[in-house]
Amino acid sequence: MARRTAVYATLLAALAAATVASLAFGAVQVPIGDVIDILFGGGGTATQQQIVETLRLPRTVEALVVGAALGIAGAILQGALGNPLASPDVIGVTGGAGFGAILIIILFPGSIALLPVGALFFGLLAAAMVFVFAWSGRNRGSTGKVILAGIAMLSLFTAGTTGLLAAYPERAPSAIFFIAGGLTSSGWEEIKTIWPYFAVGFLIALMLIRPLDRLALGDDVAASLGSRPQLIRLGAGVAAALLAAASAAIAGLLGFLGLVVPHVVRMAGGTSSHTFVVPASALGGAALLVAGDTLARTLRAPIEMPVGPFMVLLGVPLFLWLLRKAV
Amino acid sequence: MGPGGEQSRGGRPPKGLLEARGVEVEIAGTQILRGADLDLGDGELVAIVGPNGAGKSTLVRAVSGLQRPNAGNVRWSGRELSDMRGRDLARVRAFVPQRMPVPAGVTVREAVTIGRSSHLKPLSRLTGADREGVERAMERAGVARFAERSLTTLSGGELQRVQIGIGLAQEAPVLIADEPTSQLDLGATVGVAGLLRSLVGEGLAVLLVVHDLSLAAAIADRVVVVSEGRTVASGEATAVLSHERLAEVWGADARLTEHEGRTALHVAWVGP
Amino acid sequence: MIGRLSVPMGRKLAALFAATLVLVALTLPAVAQAAPPKRIVALTPFAANTLAKLGVKPVAIGETLGGSERFSPKLKGVPVLPLAHPNGPNLEQLAALDPDLVFSSRTWAKGNQAMGSLGIDVVLNDPQSINGALADTFKIGTIVGRKHYARDLLQGMRVQIEAASKGIESRPKVMLILGVGRTPFTFLPNSWGGSVVSKAGGRLLTGGVSSSSGFERISDEVVVAENPDVIIAVPHANEDDIPSLTEYLRANPAWSSTSAARNGRVYVSVDNSLLQAGTDIARTIRKVRRSYLKN
Repeated sequence: MARRTAVYATLLAALAAATVASLAFGAVQVPIGDVIDILFGGGGTATQQQIVETLRLPRTVEALVVGAALGIAGAILQGALGNPLASPDVIGVTGGAGFGAILIIILFPGSIALLPVGALFFGLLAAAMVFVFAWSGRNRGSTGKVILAGIAMLSLFTAGTTGLLAAYPERAPSAIFFIAGGLTSSGWEEIKTIWPYFAVGFLIALMLIRPLDRLALGDDVAASLGSRPQLIRLGAGVAAALLAAASAAIAGLLGFLGLVVPHVVRMAGGTSSHTFVVPASALGGAALLVAGDTLARTLRAPIEMPVGPFMVLLGVPLFLWLLRKAV
Repeated sequence: MGPGGEQSRGGRPPKGLLEARGVEVEIAGTQILRGADLDLGDGELVAIVGPNGAGKSTLVRAVSGLQRPNAGNVRWSGRELSDMRGRDLARVRAFVPQRMPVPAGVTVREAVTIGRSSHLKPLSRLTGADREGVERAMERAGVARFAERSLTTLSGGELQRVQIGIGLAQEAPVLIADEPTSQLDLGATVGVAGLLRSLVGEGLAVLLVVHDLSLAAAIADRVVVVSEGRTVASGEATAVLSHERLAEVWGADARLTEHEGRTALHVAWVGP
Repeated sequence: MIGRLSVPMGRKLAALFAATLVLVALTLPAVAQAAPPKRIVALTPFAANTLAKLGVKPVAIGETLGGSERFSPKLKGVPVLPLAHPNGPNLEQLAALDPDLVFSSRTWAKGNQAMGSLGIDVVLNDPQSINGALADTFKIGTIVGRKHYARDLLQGMRVQIEAASKGIESRPKVMLILGVGRTPFTFLPNSWGGSVVSKAGGRLLTGGVSSSSGFERISDEVVVAENPDVIIAVPHANEDDIPSLTEYLRANPAWSSTSAARNGRVYVSVDNSLLQAGTDIARTIRKVRRSYLKN
């Protein structure tokens, strides 16, 4: 218990530090005092206000929400599929979302405003197709079937994406930003449209915490306790798909988080109990993405780099260190 | 002769907790159960025996609600199985599978606590009563002394006890175990056998699938023989597991004996 | 006496004959080399249009899939080779044309290498500035044997460019961005578009960044701080997308405080004139001044 509390405390501290850094630092120097004034009062120049309120604040919130969403999505998928390599990529969401976004960028550039919608729609469509195939025929809903169906969908949509990029090579650079993954400072627009998907995903995940613990003891024990294993897996898939598709719509393709954060959290806390792993993955994911994003836009300011490599830079050494210590 | 009172011996089983008639189950095109019957009463230990593939596991899974029967009816204390939801069933019976997957990073206490979760509403927290229930279950199963150990560090026998403990945490009147001793060594088997008998002594009703006929004879109040998807006999062990029946159902030349509380199966392994 | 006279004469004649042969043999390749390439393939619109201006008709020109280049009317009827990554043209199709020379660009690096191993001469033109474009125009003219014509052409172009950039009334601060979406990938002065806009009198917003590629993704914070007067976006899109794209960019909350956004001076340029070197540079400069910079 003490160990878990220590992990929570560390994660909260990291999250707080990252959030403060995200608001205080950026390509343009704004003294911390002014930042506080702007957030809590009405101080600062118009330029500073614009920077803090319209650029940094929404972006920080987006990073918090997306980081938490991807952490949770990875944790519940790993639990539901009983496979340590499970992540939102496995259920086809990332491939579909990438395809949807690239489709808009390349074939309908005039409708660029619909990019988040395209990513969301195709992300959910890909996940739906995975579930349909995995739930048909024998061994319905078994982990093996889900993973294989996910791989098939990923290959399908990746091929579609590659085909589009090859057919319109000059439009490719715009597509690269999305694929590399990263947040943009575009105010509250996107969050305002996409938040319901996050909300529903978070809610379902919350309700699945205990059932996932039951599932960890096997389908039979879960059934003995009154759960329906297939329904739990389906619910986890739906929640993960919603969270991952909504995340991709806002922040592009960020695969690393959902896979690695739950493992880091498990090793640090020494337990696989979902009552710990799910909330801790939310905190850990949020902290990692906010920290990575802050680095990505301050290290070579005013140049903005994609956030993916920074998350890896922060997360992998920690992961390896914990791996060495783990029994 | 199995232990137990007059009522639990012989042909007429006590009316009670479970009544299943004419259960049929088809899985992936194969007819596994062709009409099996099963009864279970308060405070009795019933052992289900039969050759491989006879349908023993399928029968207990069907009456437990884990496998939907294609025909027949199953009643728990008079209630139709098909009318009962997961939670209702969890209050009525606890199913212990032969081998559950052993997740990493889960302690014995955490696992038994999960067994308690059938008592909890979706988002509510564990109460003091729940925590006591978990302690009780661990004590009864004899695993309280290694409550903080990780499941991955347990031996086969210890793990089987923990599985029983998880089942006990449900605090249901019936415990159903599918071949709990098939993978255990002699010592561990003796331990689990004693545990199950003591639970019956505390008032639990136990339904058990076993391979080992002498074990079944030793601990069961009643033995049910399943062969080719049907229940062909039900009653006291030495009566049911006669030389003729052993030859007919198992195709073996064997004799079951009991002497001074020990049972034994004498088998002509390599012919006369 | 006659016999003795003819021998020395015969030897001299033979020597003269041999010397002539050797001379011819030595100069023949040089003569052959001096002849301009006949079968030319131009894979970039810049090379193609430059050749057209020089009065040379290539045997084939290249156009990227999904691209819509503006080609000189003099090139009408010239077969078009579709270009795709990574080779550019289909190498078999190209080889079948039996070209003496191919004008290509660095984009088709892999294809260029392959062409080289097929024994085809490749010349690269990727001008990233107006001066670079002029230099390349001269280079192309020299290679195809129209050096004098090229010199005159260049003179004319320089005059036109100076005329187009005369009388600049104001020098607004301009953010020139590439691509679709809200991430500002700005053109730097060492890019084609940056060079043109600078010549047209715009002061490029760079955030103090420099890069050899000519482009960088800079932070929206810097954009807000530097407060551009004009924002020009160069996406890869079609003409009919301009209104919706303009609306989308104007509504970007990140830039809402800038002078450009507040005065509605956000523009979308869909043709390639700012993306890659063209031959009608003066015209492009005038358009930028008239439509975007209003100076």
